[in-house]
Amino acid sequence: MPHSHSSDDSFARSAARPLALFGGAAVLALVLLMFLLDFLAGLASAGGAGTATGVDVERQEITVYLREEPPQLNSMLATDAVSGMVLGHVMEGLLRYDENSQIVPGLAERWEINGTRAVFHLRENARWSNGEPITAADFEYAWKTALDPATASQYAFIFYAIKNAEAANTGSLPVSEVGVRALDARTLEVELEQPVAYFDKLVAFVTYLPVSAAFHRQMGERYGADADTMLYSGPFMLTSWVHGASLRMERNPHYWDQDRVRLNAINAAYITSDSNTLLNLYKDGRIVQVDLSAEMLEGAMQQRWHLDRFMDGSVFFIDFNHRPERVTRNLNLRQAMQLAQNSNELVDRVIKLPGYLPAKSLFPVWLQGVERPLREEYPAPEAPYDVALAREYLERARQELGLTQFPPLVLLADTSPVATISSQYYQEVFKRNLGLDIIIDAQTFQQRLAKMDAGDFDIVLSGWGPDYNDPLTFADLYASWNLNNRGRFASERVDALVRQAQSSTDNAARMAAFGEIQQILFDEVALIGNYERGRVYATDPRVKGILRRVFGAEVDYTNAYIEVAP
Amino acid sequence: MSPTELPQGLSAADFLPLERRDHAQGISRPSRSYWQDAWARLRRNRRALASLWIIVGLLAFALVGPALWRVDPARQDIDQISQGPLADRSATVVAPYAAWNGQAAAGYENGSGLRLAQAGNSQAVRLIWDAVPEASALRLYRNIFPVEADMAFGLPIAEFASGAAGFYEDRLDLRPGTYHYSLVALNADRSLSTRYEVLEVEVARVITLDEVRARALVPETTVLAEGDAVNLALHPLGTDYLGRDMLARLMAGARVSLFIGIVAPVLYVLLGVLYGSTAGFLGGRVDQWMMRFADFVVALPFLLFMILFQVVFGIGPGESGIAPMLAALVLLAWPATARLVRGQILQIRHQAYISASRLLGAPDWYLVLRHMIPNTLGVILVTLTFAVPSAIFTEAFLSFIGMGVAPPTASWGSMSNEGLATMLTHPHELIFPALFISITVLAFNLLGDGLRDALDARMRSLE
Repeated sequence: MPHSHSSDDSFARSAARPLALFGGAAVLALVLLMFLLDFLAGLASAGGAGTATGVDVERQEITVYLREEPPQLNSMLATDAVSGMVLGHVMEGLLRYDENSQIVPGLAERWEINGTRAVFHLRENARWSNGEPITAADFEYAWKTALDPATASQYAFIFYAIKNAEAANTGSLPVSEVGVRALDARTLEVELEQPVAYFDKLVAFVTYLPVSAAFHRQMGERYGADADTMLYSGPFMLTSWVHGASLRMERNPHYWDQDRVRLNAINAAYITSDSNTLLNLYKDGRIVQVDLSAEMLEGAMQQRWHLDRFMDGSVFFIDFNHRPERVTRNLNLRQAMQLAQNSNELVDRVIKLPGYLPAKSLFPVWLQGVERPLREEYPAPEAPYDVALAREYLERARQELGLTQFPPLVLLADTSPVATISSQYYQEVFKRNLGLDIIIDAQTFQQRLAKMDAGDFDIVLSGWGPDYNDPLTFADLYASWNLNNRGRFASERVDALVRQAQSSTDNAARMAAFGEIQQILFDEVALIGNYERGRVYATDPRVKGILRRVFGAEVDYTNAYIEVAP
Repeated sequence: MSPTELPQGLSAADFLPLERRDHAQGISRPSRSYWQDAWARLRRNRRALASLWIIVGLLAFALVGPALWRVDPARQDIDQISQGPLADRSATVVAPYAAWNGQAAAGYENGSGLRLAQAGNSQAVRLIWDAVPEASALRLYRNIFPVEADMAFGLPIAEFASGAAGFYEDRLDLRPGTYHYSLVALNADRSLSTRYEVLEVEVARVITLDEVRARALVPETTVLAEGDAVNLALHPLGTDYLGRDMLARLMAGARVSLFIGIVAPVLYVLLGVLYGSTAGFLGGRVDQWMMRFADFVVALPFLLFMILFQVVFGIGPGESGIAPMLAALVLLAWPATARLVRGQILQIRHQAYISASRLLGAPDWYLVLRHMIPNTLGVILVTLTFAVPSAIFTEAFLSFIGMGVAPPTASWGSMSNEGLATMLTHPHELIFPALFISITVLAFNLLGDGLRDALDARMRSLE
């Protein structure tokens, strides 16, 4: 039917012009709307007096981010780094670390540790944020409550150096038997199980923070769950906590050392761990500091940002499952895997972030020995990268295990970008060099720990950050009784050495013990070192004095100040 | 009028039966079947035809490609991480890396300030410097851009506790090109002073003999000496963030994407056709109940079922989620097709030609096969071609959020996800997989569009 055809065509032709006009008008209207909204948004933000800026010079405020929401801020229960960071600003204990990671007086103006007896003398002007004095009883209460089995504090073991603490925590003695006593309002006496060389460093840990007894009893379960259900002893206090959205810390007028604090407020306005979001926030001047990932470095150099780096003190390594049913219990297999990889390549070529160091030992390079760094006094034994030798060990392992072929090994890793890339790197390295099939089991951090507890892995990309400034915080990781020894590595010699390091006050003997532990862990291939973690970060040039720390708050804004260009 | 008298002009012969003839009516043009007709129309649609060829090409890329480009998609070429397409890949053979004690090599003994201890190469850049007076500490920076008055030194590489003379070996991710090293004196409070020295270093790409052998860059028989030039492995489309060949990964990814993209829709469209035609043909109460069940299936959340299927299938972590993805797609996506086909069948059932056929005694199976299926086939095929891109997209999305393939298996979706992180610095890692997804989805959509026009029986009248 040619007739209908042509009528269709003519219809299309006649409709085309109005359609084109309508389309053009619609696009134009949208563009105009866009400009209008942009203009209005500009007006609105100008009216808001710059609340969105990272640095508020007038009010002496800075805006920062948190990687995630703190689960709660009860110092007796805190385990994670974000809680530690917030608590590092709003709370202060007896002692604290200074900018060089040395112990300095906090709420205690002086202290004596003689053998098994330690006495702390509190400052006269130590005050809670409601103006009431902080007493020795507040410390006694906090420590005993944390040790109470009913509290179920995961970090209760940090008190085990104190007399009867372990017994009280396991329930075999009442908490009142623990060797902590407030002699008077300003004197705290601690009895230790045995002399502990590093007790002052333990006291600076977050679980040792004070808690006002009366206030805690009044709040009950709600203590530390909101801004107004806590009392603060630190340079700042929490004035607002919008769950899942923001936190605000303001200067604490009752803090004893007002000279140390120059900012009026720290606004943790963003809670996100997405590195691209954070980068954009920093680019827009909405936050004062941002950590950079390897892909961002080129852009940062192009923007001509001033970069800094910092080693956060933690060590990451491949940990093995030593449970009887696992092939990774076989020493030759572990030895083969150690010889078939090269952590230099991982750090220099794959992770490619300055600040990262190849890990050669469980003990990171920064730990202090007797006079020089521990790793200089006891150099870490190094395995060569030797694929041929590795294959010989693998063959021996195969024969010992009576296998025709190795089963696929489950590599447990968490979902952080560096863990993801490392796990894929090792998957191919072990496949190429040893012919081992690796199945990557990527889990969230919490889930990774749960699976490690359950022994649901062959090898795992694990890591450890120090709790206090002593090599023991790493050394006891492979003690057979340590709950963090999730691969169930067991060596009587290591256990004995750890006990010796715990009880001895002879520094040289302790360091020798650590050196021997390092050698045993290498000989037994208890772990394969991956990297010591570093951070590269950019800081707003107007803000000075932000500290990155290994102990205490990982980012410390307490001493920060805003420097206005002349 | 007598009964024997015939009307005028007619004879008795006119009342005899005709002889049987094969062609009662002459047809001037050759008869074309429905399919011939549709093909002819599709062929005239240039967009659809081009799409068809693209799809054929993609299938060949996925199926034949890996036989021609024999590179393991999981193999990591650590020398060429995040390398762009067609990048320079020449390298010079050098001696194996050896630890360094801070001594300057021959020809580099003299000089002052910050200087090289030997020629810089991608194995290491070795720097030495003289003592910096009045510096309490030194920090070494590296930049790929020149340092100007704004003192943007770039990456902080190392820090030294005193201003004494020292040395440092930089091995961090050295690529061929120019680097600007700066040694900056620090004040007592660790802040940067304004005293610094800059050294420009040219870095050449090098490789050791062992590495050449391990990576099989030259034939076994070739004799190489230090100083010889070799070419690193060829990667026509570059490499990803672990140095894996993009072309090989795209081919491997095409298999996953096209498998899901074609198998899943074929299965669920088939299921939908069976279900829909049954419901439509039977009609009445059965139809009502069947369609309410279809509505119920529509309401089921896909992602949740995908996870449930992973559990049911016993897919552990680190194993491919393709099977549960297929199951979830087939079991949850059919209602749309079923509704469409049911509607068509209901419509056709009341058409006059069906009634006519029924009147002539056609049985049910004949009605279905001869009249109903051919008349819905166009709709079915169009649904199928539109379902393919949506399935490919679903696969890409699920792999993007980490619920699809397990590493090291590649799929376009997972490659896009991985490329996202390096989008600004190495865009090819995102662009290539994204381009393949886009082209595939577009080709299937355009083909579906063309098929709809070609297969529409009512369009035939316009010819």
